[in-house]
Amino acid sequence: MMNRSLLLKLLSAFIVFGTWEIAGRIPVSYAFPTFIESMKALFDMTVDGRLFAAYGETLKPLVIGVIISAIVGIAVGLWSGLNEWFDWLFSPIFIVMQAAPLAALIPLLVMIYGIGLTSKIFVVCIMAMPVIVLNTAGAVRNTPSSLTEMGRSFQASNWEVILKIIIPAASPVIFSGLRLGVSAGFIGAILSELKITPTGVGDIITYSRSIADYASMYAAIFSIIVLAVLFLNVLEKIERFLFEGNNRGYASD
Amino acid sequence: MQRFIKRLTAPLVAIPLLFGLSTSTVFADKIRIALAETPSDELAAFFVALDRAKANGLDYEWTAFSDEELAIQAVLSGQMDIGFGTPYSAMQRSKAPLRIIFQLSKLKFFPVTNKKYSKLEDLAGEPILLHSRGGGTDSIANVIEDKMGFKFGKRSYVPGSSNRVVALIAGQADATIIDLSNKNKVVRQQGDKFNVLPMFDVEASDEALFANLDWIQSNEEDVQIFVNALLSTWQDMNEDPTIISKETNPDGPIGQLPKEILDELDGFYTDAIAGGLYDANGGGRKGAQADMEWYSQAGQLEGDPASLNVEDFWYMAPLDAAMAK
Repeated sequence: MMNRSLLLKLLSAFIVFGTWEIAGRIPVSYAFPTFIESMKALFDMTVDGRLFAAYGETLKPLVIGVIISAIVGIAVGLWSGLNEWFDWLFSPIFIVMQAAPLAALIPLLVMIYGIGLTSKIFVVCIMAMPVIVLNTAGAVRNTPSSLTEMGRSFQASNWEVILKIIIPAASPVIFSGLRLGVSAGFIGAILSELKITPTGVGDIITYSRSIADYASMYAAIFSIIVLAVLFLNVLEKIERFLFEGNNRGYASD
Repeated sequence: MQRFIKRLTAPLVAIPLLFGLSTSTVFADKIRIALAETPSDELAAFFVALDRAKANGLDYEWTAFSDEELAIQAVLSGQMDIGFGTPYSAMQRSKAPLRIIFQLSKLKFFPVTNKKYSKLEDLAGEPILLHSRGGGTDSIANVIEDKMGFKFGKRSYVPGSSNRVVALIAGQADATIIDLSNKNKVVRQQGDKFNVLPMFDVEASDEALFANLDWIQSNEEDVQIFVNALLSTWQDMNEDPTIISKETNPDGPIGQLPKEILDELDGFYTDAIAGGLYDANGGGRKGAQADMEWYSQAGQLEGDPASLNVEDFWYMAPLDAAMAK
């Protein structure tokens, strides 16, 4: 069974890259390189270290933003899941954040926080935090009431109910929220590099485009997708390991 | 289930097909122009030329892209016919037969700094704010380094001259390179706080019109009308810059701009003509030669400028014909 799934994955990769190669050879557009050209550009970038330097730059706002979002997001989510009044006060903010067209808000962020790292971290947080908060709040709110009632009938204090029943019961969904938050954060980090000031991978994309080196541009985009997929797969593996038996909707299935 | 899939796939196939058919018939004989920015005072002369071309039977439509590279990509992909910009590296690197047919404006940019600096040499090792990596101001910085024999410090990038002026005034940057109209604004409003450093003259193109050679040759007539209109506008404008505001169609995209901008049009074009921003002859061979030298020196064209063939980058026939008239 495992072999079949691997085979199917390889086959679909082959079809996608084959189509890319053919489309590049026709060519569908002069601005569209072949798969082999793009991979060669990716190889060159990796060998001369440009790619690593770029990711060092890009990961800064991403890591800081995701850490802030995770800490603040889980705290706010727990609180609003436990307290209806707090939920009523704060949930709308995160629903608005999630629905707002971020690219249109960037000029506003730049006006307030300038063109540096702060604005980029904010973009990552705006992307990542709402999913984390809303998932956490939902998970806490939906803790089976039979479990909490059982705890209370055994004379558990409020803190014990929260720490020993609610949080363990909610953690699979909280972790899914984190995973979704990280993938949204990826989008935010790249968006901020393309729309605020080009640094890191965003700089490779814009610079390659401005000198018409389309192979490098596609190589950079490809590397982001690969990195995001790999990272999310690792998170999924951790999730499966931690919460065996609680599997729900994975990207890699 | 099968019926469901059939019902689902039918519109999925039909909708793009219908869309494709309808768009291709609608746009069949209109030329599609890709602008690299939204209509602004800088594009007023271009729209006056478009109006003149329309009076002579040219049917067109324009789309504003958010940046020059996207406009170039759209022309490369054949979604647009004529683009706006200086796609020299795209011409040399991609196999696309792109050719420039008219120089719209020259690369007239000025190093503006606070009072710390008074000549270019003072900027050695100092940080500078530019438009984008690989862009026009970046090429100016490269050539300054080359000619003056020093290196700038850290280069940071903020797109848009007006945004760089904001950063300069706010004290976030000490030195930048900005365009003519923004330089004039700074000198007028805060001349006592900032210096415009004296610099050598640049004759190379900033914005030029380009298209795919195959498309130019199969639409010879439309291209000729367009280039005639551009050349006549550019020549008239060099004699009297106020014709731009006089000829601007009040219902067109420029006429719809805020009154404050429209009131400034005469001033903008008078300054621009005095500063040599618009070449009365659309660049031509002289402009093309200047471009070869400039963009080679700036690192956007590879190879020795003397060995580069102008014919690989410019298509002169429409401009020659317009000049002969």
